[in-house]
Amino acid sequence: MTSDVAPRTARTRPQRPARSWKAPVGVLLFLAITWWAGSDRFGVGFSLPDLLANLERGQRIVSELADPRWQAWRSLIDPFIETLRIAILAALLGCSAALVAALGASRVSAPGLRSYLASKGVLNVVRAIPDLLYAMVFVAVFSIGPLAGIVALILFNIGVVGKLTSETVDGIDPGPVEAAQAAGAGHAQVVRTAIVPAVLPNYIAYSLYAFELNLRASLVVGFVGAGGIGQLLQVALSAFRYDVVALVVLFIFAVVFVVESFSIALRRRLV
Amino acid sequence: MPGLPTRTTSPTRTTAERAMRPDKPRRYGPIGLALMAAAAGLWAAWTSGIDLATVLRGPETLLRILRMMLLPPDVSAAPAAFAGMIESLQIAWIGTLLGAAVSLPIGLLAAKNVGGRFSTTVARQVLNLLRSLPELVLAILFVSIIGLGPLAGALAIGLGSIGTLGKLTAEVVEGIDRGPIEAAEAVGASRVQVLRWGVLPQAMPEIIAFWLYRFEINVRASAILGLVGAGGIGGMLANYLSYRRYGSAGMAILIVIAVTIAIDAVSSRIRRRIIAGPQGSRTGPDPVPAADAL
Repeated sequence: MTSDVAPRTARTRPQRPARSWKAPVGVLLFLAITWWAGSDRFGVGFSLPDLLANLERGQRIVSELADPRWQAWRSLIDPFIETLRIAILAALLGCSAALVAALGASRVSAPGLRSYLASKGVLNVVRAIPDLLYAMVFVAVFSIGPLAGIVALILFNIGVVGKLTSETVDGIDPGPVEAAQAAGAGHAQVVRTAIVPAVLPNYIAYSLYAFELNLRASLVVGFVGAGGIGQLLQVALSAFRYDVVALVVLFIFAVVFVVESFSIALRRRLV
Repeated sequence: MPGLPTRTTSPTRTTAERAMRPDKPRRYGPIGLALMAAAAGLWAAWTSGIDLATVLRGPETLLRILRMMLLPPDVSAAPAAFAGMIESLQIAWIGTLLGAAVSLPIGLLAAKNVGGRFSTTVARQVLNLLRSLPELVLAILFVSIIGLGPLAGALAIGLGSIGTLGKLTAEVVEGIDRGPIEAAEAVGASRVQVLRWGVLPQAMPEIIAFWLYRFEINVRASAILGLVGAGGIGGMLANYLSYRRYGSAGMAILIVIAVTIAIDAVSSRIRRRIIAGPQGSRTGPDPVPAADAL
């Protein structure tokens, strides 16, 4: 450190970065959209005083929710087993298909430009449709029952696991891929020996995560008649039995908690 | 020079040793997992009572319904469906804002390097609880409390976003550099000033990226909440489907898909710009850690 140069440069303040017109315009746009979306006339009609006045009306519901009907636990068993079946089958079939779709939707592993664009497009469309919408359509196709739920969740899993896995494939270390190519591997061999092993731990982790999501989604999907514990929830709600609703929600909460801690432990060992 | 790495070659190695192939690593974990999954799958398929004939008839029925939906879609339903989708977007926007506004302080309290020990534990449990409630259940509750309409949907989306956003905020804040915090403390900043000048400038870009990501998710969620009367395009869609007006339903679904993909594209560009800056790369994976993105 030389003593005569450093203090002088330290005394001059660094220049402020030039102001851009983009920031204020962005803020204005943000405020305008918020006002428009929240206003009574054009949007959702958000007003805090009305809200607080309304919340008092919910007291009966909240007090019923706070007192779950524990005696009804027996009615949970059969729907829960059905939910388990739906979640398992959907995760197995959906995640297998997702691996294929993901390998097609990454530039690293796609066999050609055309199949890359096709897989990417399919994944985007599959992901754009919400799970509940799938459930509604498949209830129309298969009529009410667990089959509709299974097929709906299969598509949901392809969307989630396919996107996450294809992003992982995008980010893998190119070394092994180049090594395999240098050793004369064909495309399928590169995928088999260099790409799949690299993403396998992550892929398994995503699949476990998808299974968790399925258990959670079963509440929602069953609501439109696609089987499982959600159907029980729907029956309880339409009968205004909030004490049963509370029981079902708490039960799913517990199940998801158990599965989550189990899969976190598994994931930690895998990744 | 001390810093340079030096190649170490062991002259004692014999040719036989060098030619030896390394042992194949044996990993029983994935095999065990695969066996478990297969067993569970067999059990589930065996006991499900789904008969194969129904499954095989599925594609045909699906094609027939899809044909009724899309060939051609009912264009006269487009204006109403578009208005419904706009309402869904408004629900998602207000909901995301509410969720972001509430999750920021809770997330800060849940971060170990900002909150105290007690506040961290409490805030984390609150976030866990909120994360486990599906939006649809929240929407049902809000509809029964404040009545039918988009406001119930916005509140459900908002409450449903707090859990994930708070958790991600806490993780971002825990990952920041300690330097600026220490610098702020050293010049005598109060706790609020440390937050303002030491913590937030580092964490905000990523937190805002998460808000945008959550907005994308919320657009999908708000498109279906109408099913329980919480406003948006969902109620319309459910009606079309249950009255078998497949042409109108097809139009509505097309609008949902188009708007969702458009929002995703815009939002992921903004996210990339926020994280990577103007010179940031335009390719590569999304700047949101995938495994955390619910």
